[in-house]
Amino acid sequence: MNVETNQVGKPLIGSRMSNESFITLIMVGVLFVLFGIACAAVPNFYLPRNMLNLLTNNWYLIIVGIGVSFLLITGNFDLSVGGNIAMTGVFSVYFCQAANVSQNVLANGLGLPYGLAVLLALLCAMSIGAINAFFVAKLKVPSIIVTLGTMMLARGIAQIVTQGAQRNTSLPDVFGVVGSMSIKGTPIKVSVVIMVGLVIAAYIFERMTVPGRRTYLIGANPEAARLSGINVVKHLTFLYLTSALLAGITGILLASEFKAGVSSRALGYEFDALVISLLGGVSIAGGFGSVLGMFAGAVILSVITSSATGLLLSPNWQFTLKGVATLIAILTQRFALDKRKG
Amino acid sequence: MKTGGEGLIQSPMDRSSAFRSNIKKFYIYVVLVVIVIIFSVVKLGQVEMFGRGHFLSPDSIIVLLRAAVPIITLSGAFTLLMISGNIDLSVGSAMSLNAVVFALMILNGFPFLPALIITLIMGMAMGFLNGFLVVKMRITPVIGTLVTLNLFKGIALLIVPAGLSAIKSSAEKQMPAWINDYARQDVFLGLPWAFYVALAVIAVLIIVQRKTILGKYAAAIGGNRTAAELSGINVVKMAWILYVIVGFFAAAAGMARASYMSLGDPLSGDGMELDNIIAVLLGGTAFSGGEGSVPKTIVGALIIMCVTTGLMTVIPAFWQTVAKGSVLLFAVVLNHVLVREKVKC
Amino acid sequence: MKLIENVLEIQDLVKEFPSVRAVNNVSFDIKRNTVHCLVGENGAGKSTLIKILTGAYMRTSGTVLLNGEEYNPHSPRDAKQRGISTLFQELNVVDQLTVEENLTLGMEDTRFGFLRKTDKINKMVNVMKSLEPSITPRQLVSTLSVAKKQIVEIAKAVATEADIIIMDEPTASISESEIARLFKIVKSLREKNVTVIYISHRLDEVFELGDYVTVMRDGKHIGTEPVAEVKDRSELIRMMIGKTVFEEYTPKEGGSQETILQVKDLCNHKLNGISFEIHKGEIVGFYGLVGAGKTELARAIYGVDEYRGEITFKGKKLPATPDKVIAAGIALVPEERRTQGLFTVLTIRGNVPVMNMEKISRNGFINSTQERKVTLEYIDKLRIATNSTEKEAAKLSGGNQQKVVFSKCLFADADLLMLDEPTRGIDVGAKSEIYGIIRRLSEEGKSIMIFSSELPEVVNICDTIYLLFDGNMKTMMKNGPDIDSEKIIHIVTGGE
Repeated sequence: MNVETNQVGKPLIGSRMSNESFITLIMVGVLFVLFGIACAAVPNFYLPRNMLNLLTNNWYLIIVGIGVSFLLITGNFDLSVGGNIAMTGVFSVYFCQAANVSQNVLANGLGLPYGLAVLLALLCAMSIGAINAFFVAKLKVPSIIVTLGTMMLARGIAQIVTQGAQRNTSLPDVFGVVGSMSIKGTPIKVSVVIMVGLVIAAYIFERMTVPGRRTYLIGANPEAARLSGINVVKHLTFLYLTSALLAGITGILLASEFKAGVSSRALGYEFDALVISLLGGVSIAGGFGSVLGMFAGAVILSVITSSATGLLLSPNWQFTLKGVATLIAILTQRFALDKRKG
Repeated sequence: MKTGGEGLIQSPMDRSSAFRSNIKKFYIYVVLVVIVIIFSVVKLGQVEMFGRGHFLSPDSIIVLLRAAVPIITLSGAFTLLMISGNIDLSVGSAMSLNAVVFALMILNGFPFLPALIITLIMGMAMGFLNGFLVVKMRITPVIGTLVTLNLFKGIALLIVPAGLSAIKSSAEKQMPAWINDYARQDVFLGLPWAFYVALAVIAVLIIVQRKTILGKYAAAIGGNRTAAELSGINVVKMAWILYVIVGFFAAAAGMARASYMSLGDPLSGDGMELDNIIAVLLGGTAFSGGEGSVPKTIVGALIIMCVTTGLMTVIPAFWQTVAKGSVLLFAVVLNHVLVREKVKC
Repeated sequence: MKLIENVLEIQDLVKEFPSVRAVNNVSFDIKRNTVHCLVGENGAGKSTLIKILTGAYMRTSGTVLLNGEEYNPHSPRDAKQRGISTLFQELNVVDQLTVEENLTLGMEDTRFGFLRKTDKINKMVNVMKSLEPSITPRQLVSTLSVAKKQIVEIAKAVATEADIIIMDEPTASISESEIARLFKIVKSLREKNVTVIYISHRLDEVFELGDYVTVMRDGKHIGTEPVAEVKDRSELIRMMIGKTVFEEYTPKEGGSQETILQVKDLCNHKLNGISFEIHKGEIVGFYGLVGAGKTELARAIYGVDEYRGEITFKGKKLPATPDKVIAAGIALVPEERRTQGLFTVLTIRGNVPVMNMEKISRNGFINSTQERKVTLEYIDKLRIATNSTEKEAAKLSGGNQQKVVFSKCLFADADLLMLDEPTRGIDVGAKSEIYGIIRRLSEEGKSIMIFSSELPEVVNICDTIYLLFDGNMKTMMKNGPDIDSEKIIHIVTGGE
C-alpha cells in the first residue's frame, strides 16, 4: 500500500493551494501594492471614508460581474448586461408610472403597483438571458456575437420606451426608496448590502454547491463534462438567465436611486464587468477564477480610477488606464502561473 | 464514412446541394435588393420616386455612398482577418484615434500627403500591437483586441476630449477648408475621391484574396491550421501581417472620416467593429475561419448602410439601436443556417 | 549520386517511456520502391515506431538511416522536408481550398506575393490526374469524398518528391470500390520512385499489396519477409501473437441469466446492424482492431452519437443523452483519459465525485467532509499512488489517472460499466490491479462491457467475447480453456 493514510486528506498550504487561490492572492497583493502607491502619491487618499468608498462605489459593477465571471469561467461572454440594466430600469419606471395623467407620452405609464412593476421588469431582463442562452447554448453561436446583438436589442428597447431620453415623472413615492435607503445610522446604502449579500452567495455557490462545481467542470473540459453527465446546455442556460437577472436587479436599484429610467444608463458596464473579472484573475482559457478575485479586481479598478481623480486627471484617462491595467494583469497572471508550474 | 460509388447521374442529393450552394452565392444580393426596394417604396405616398427625399434620389444615394466610405475601406481587410480565424474589436477606436491624429496634423499646418502617410504608418503600428498581443502573446483575440480598444480610445480621448467642437477650429488655428476635399468634394458623378479610393481598395483586396499568397494562406490558416503548419506556412507571421493590414485600413478609414467631418472626433469610430461584424456575418464568413468573401462582405456593408440611412427617414432616431441589434441577430441566424454544415452521420 | 538499395535502415531503435519500452531494439531495412507493410497487434509498437519516423517523437537510442544518411527529425515538418510524408487518419487538407491550391500549399511560386501559374502547378496536377483523373483541379476539397481527399494528399507527397509515404490505416474509412482504386495507386507509386510504408490490420491487404511485411509484437521486431514467401494468414497471425501465454481464465460459476442490456440492430454512420445481449454480472468483451467500431458502439449506447435501433436497459428504453444514461445506471470510462475522462487541471478530489454529485451533497450544497472521505475511499480501494487528495490529476501517472477515471465511474453507482481501452498505455502492475478491480465488480453483480484492441486483455477476463470488424458484429464466443486466438485474429482481420 503506497498511501500514507495519516497524511492524505489534509490539504497542505503553500504548494498545495489551488491555482485559483494562488492567483486571487496575487491580485490581492497587487491591490495592496497599488493602494500603497496611491496613498503615497495621491493627496488625501488615506482616509477611512475614502477606503470605504473604494470597496463600495463599484457595487453595480460587482453585481453584474458575478454573472459575467461565471460565464467567463465556462468560456463564454455576456456583453448584454449593460443594455439589460438600462432596459430593466426603464421598464421598472414605465410599468409603475401613473397612467393617463399627462399629455406628455413620457409621463404616462402602465400604472401598476411598484412590486408588480419590479417583478415584470425582472422577467423582461431574464428574457434577454433566454435569448442569449438559446443562441449560445443551443445553436452554439459564438457568445461574443450573440451578446453584442442582445446588448443592442436591450438598449434599443430602453431607447424606444424613453424616446431616446428618460422617464422620470409620475412615479409613486415608494419608487425611490430602495435605491437611496441606507442602513440606519451608517452611510452604507442598501444597494451595497445587497451587493455584499450577492457576492457572499456567489462565493458559496462557487465553492460549495453542485451547480457551482459544474461551472468549473464545463470550463475545464467541456467534453469530459458532457461525458460525465453534465447537461451543458441546461447549465449554460441557467448561467445566462442568472446573469440577466443580476443585471435586472442592478437596473432596478439604479433606477430607484436616480428616480429615473434613463436609456443611456450603464453605458460600457459590460466591458467594465469584463475588466474587473480579468483583473481578478478569471480566465477564459479554462475553468479558472473566483468571484472573490473579481471583487478584488473591482477594488483595484476603484483604486485606479479614484487615484486618477485624486491626481486631477481628466476622466478621459480611464480608458487608457483600464486597457493598460487589464493587459498587465493578464500577463502577470500568466507569468505567475507559468512560474508555479515550473 | 462510407460513400457510395461515384455515378455520373445526378442523384436528388446532388441537385439539392447544388441548389443550396447557389443560394449561398446569391442570397446576399437578393437581400440587398429587397432592402433597397423596401426603402424605396415605403415613403412613396409622400415623396415622388427618385425625387427629392426619396431613398433612391441622386442626392440621397450620394450621401449614403459618402457615408459608407469608412466601412467599405475597412471591411475588406477585416474579412481577410476573419477568414484566418481571428477578430479585431479595436478597429472602431483605432479609426477614431487615427482620425484625431490626422485632423490634428492638418490643423497644425501639415500638408495632406505627409499627414496621410504618418496616419497610415500609425495605423500599421497599432495593427502591429494587436498582432503582438494576439498572435505572439497568444491572448484570446477577443480579449486582446478589447484591451487595445480601450487603449486606443483612451489615447484618443486624452489628445482631444469628446464633443463636437473637438479640433474643429480654435482661436489660434483654423482647420483649412480643403480638408473636406477628400471626402466630400465632387470629383465624378457627385462622389468624392474617398469613394473612388474605397472602390480601389475593394478591388485590391479582392485581388489579394483571390490571387495572392496572403489570401490563400489566410484561408489555409483559418480552415486547417495544422495542415497549414505542416505545409510550412509561418502561421504567426501571416496572422501578424493581417493584423497590420487591418490597422492600415483602419487608419485610412479614420482619415476619411476626419476629412468628412472636418474634425477629429475621438468617438467617431464607435460601433465600427460592430458594423464590420454584421457585414461579415451577412456576407457569409464563418466565424471559425476558412471561408469568406470580400465582395459579399462589401454587399453586407452596403446593406447596413442602407438600413441605417433608410431607417433614419422612416423611424425616429431612438429606434436605430433596436434595429441594429435585430439586424445582427438576423445576420447570426442567416449565417448559422447557411454556413454551418450540419454534420450528417 | 548512387541510389542505395535500402531507402530506410533502422538499427537497434529504442523508445522508452517512463513505464514501458514501446520500441525495443528494433532493426530492419526497407528497400527502395517497394510497398512495405507493417503489421502487429495494438500495443505492438507500430505507431510509436511511425511517430519516431515522422518526427512526432524523439528516439531514445539507435540509428535510422534515410538514403544512407543519419535521420533524426525534430518535428513533423522536419520529416516532411527530409522526404517522408505521412497520410494520417485525420486528413491534412484544407477543405475550403481547391484541389490545386492544396497541392501547392506551402510551395507556391510567387512574384511579389502574387501567385503565379507556373509549370510546377501543371506538373502537380498531372501527377494528380495520373493517379485519379476524375478529380478536377479547380474543385473545392470539401466536395471530395474521404477517399479522394486521401488521393490528393498522396499526389501532393508524390509531386514533392517524397522518398517515403507512410500510410496509417488508410482503408479504415473508405468503401470497397475506393479501396480497389487506392491499391492501384499504391502499386503505381513504385514506378514513381516512391516507397510506401503501409500499416494495416487487414491482413488480406498485406497479401494483395505488399512486397515485404514486417511483424512487430510487444515492441520487438519479430520478422521481416518478402510477402511472396509468407505461406498464409495463419503464419502471419502466429507471428503477431507468438507464444503469448494467457493467464488462465477462470470460468464463472453460475452466471446470471437475467438480461440487463439488450441492443437490437444498432446502426449509424459507422455501425451496421449490431445486436447483442448483456447479462447481469457478466464481463463481456468487444474485440476488434482499428476502425472496427468499438468506440463508436460505446458512444452510441452512451448517447453521445446518434444512432438508429433499439436499446433496452433494465427493461426500459435507454434514453439518448449521456446525463440520462448515467442516471439510468450506465457509466463510461472513455477512450482518451486526458481529453475525455479527466479534468486534468483539477485535483483528484475535484474529479472523483463528478458523476454523482448528489451523493456527496444535500440540497445542492456539497459536503466537503463527505467529498474528502469518498475520495480517500477510492484512493484506498483502487490504490491510487498519491499522498494527497489535492494532487493535480495532470501530474499523476497514466495508470493512476485511469484509476481516477475508474473511481469517477464507480462512484456513479452504475449497474453497467463500459470501459473503452481501459488499460491503454498503462504499466503491467497497474494493469493487473485494474483487472482485479474488474473481477471484483463482476462478483458484486455489476455488468461490465470492455471495448479493447488488446487480445490478452479480452481473453484474460471476459466471459463472453464479441468480435467486431468494420462496424459489423462478426461472431460471439464464449470464453473457456479451448478459446482459439488464431481464429479470433483471423476474424478481426477480415477473415470469415
